[in-house]
Amino acid sequence: MKLAVYWTGSCGGCDVAFLELGPALLDLLPKLEIVFWPALVDAKRADLEKLPKHGIDVALVNGVLRTTENVEMAELLREKSRWLGAFGACAHLGGVPALANPGEGIAEVVFGPGFRPAPPLGEAPEDAPPELLPEALPLEEVVPVDFVVPGCPPPAGLIARFFAVALAEEIQPGQVFAAEKALCEECPRTREERRLARLVRPHEALADPTKCLLDQGMVCLGPVTRGGCAAACPKAGMPCTGCLGPTPKAGDPALAMLSALASLVRAGEEGEPAFPEEDRILEGLVDPLGTLYKYAFAKYGRPLRRLARRRQEVRA
Amino acid sequence: MSGFEPRIVAFLCRWCASAGADLAGTNRLAYPPNAIPIRVNCSGRVEPQWVVEALKAGADGVLIGGCHPGDCHYVAGNYKARRRVYLLRKVLAELGIEPERVRLEWVSATEGARFAQVMSDFVAELKRLGPLHGNGGPK
Repeated sequence: MKLAVYWTGSCGGCDVAFLELGPALLDLLPKLEIVFWPALVDAKRADLEKLPKHGIDVALVNGVLRTTENVEMAELLREKSRWLGAFGACAHLGGVPALANPGEGIAEVVFGPGFRPAPPLGEAPEDAPPELLPEALPLEEVVPVDFVVPGCPPPAGLIARFFAVALAEEIQPGQVFAAEKALCEECPRTREERRLARLVRPHEALADPTKCLLDQGMVCLGPVTRGGCAAACPKAGMPCTGCLGPTPKAGDPALAMLSALASLVRAGEEGEPAFPEEDRILEGLVDPLGTLYKYAFAKYGRPLRRLARRRQEVRA
Repeated sequence: MSGFEPRIVAFLCRWCASAGADLAGTNRLAYPPNAIPIRVNCSGRVEPQWVVEALKAGADGVLIGGCHPGDCHYVAGNYKARRRVYLLRKVLAELGIEPERVRLEWVSATEGARFAQVMSDFVAELKRLGPLHGNGGPK
């Protein structure tokens, strides 16, 4: 199988994640012909351009699309590949880097007001760095995506399953290599309480080793997130942050979780006298966008954000 | 913003707010006709995703009408609605959308006049805020 792996706006963790396969790599590698993988082998864009159409069987793109060059590479890989997949939460949903989207121009935020990129050092225009896109985008916004290997980074079990299916030529269009059911189905913790008297952030409490983290007031996105990781984070005492993406039923994971949290919050007997205390508990959800949309902002939160931004432009 | 008529989607609970709206009609009370009413069994049934979908699809504001505290036909659905709206407005504010565009009001089945007043107030507020979608809706 002719394989390409490419990174766009990425931390590099997805490329490393393949090593998690461990000894299974020794069986896998002889079955793969790596035609393009900048993290592993020296090949340039020109080499990719020389490949015939469909010269790649499977291309995996990890990272968010952040620059014009990212978009060009995504389009090039799409043209050269029979199957193109989003690998990891950034290519799938936007991921953590897409949390830059709510800001008013990321360059101004990072470098201060009045920032302008310097002119290219060389004479040739192609020496200039690629331009930032106005918004960080998931892969599917730019090219059709055939399948998704989700996660931040994808867990070894899902990577192994992907390769088994791909080598057997059995990828289904639109396939997501994770469970359809929620993470809670795989979580060994026991659920008892049906009400939340407080919300805590992970560093504010030591988690009870056996009780449901949500019951303990931690914002665990398990109820709205696909299983497939064997609940790795909750097993280690950390709430799920949603990296495998929402279950097909959940829709927008942030709004689904918001709904669930609001339903569970209680301050004693329900009723008007409890409203101020309920609000105080709800204020315990610090940074709602960063918590509820940690990985999925580009895909789900961006349409509303775009609406707000366009309106600000019209008014200005 | 002269001539701007806000578009409102109103989720009204069957037992109180929707009955209140009916009463406003049978009493022939005049109020602005800007809302598309959608009757739901309980304000606690209104999903935040519906509210956002309405805003994305062209509404300038969303009204959720439920029973007064203590009056919910299902005991506590209106309390659930209140907490959801509280969090949703926080999220909308972070996204740069005025939280006032999502409004929760208690209207009982006998409060036709109050329903008319709520509609007038909300339309006035949305006229002050201006259209969410620039000229005449999305696309």
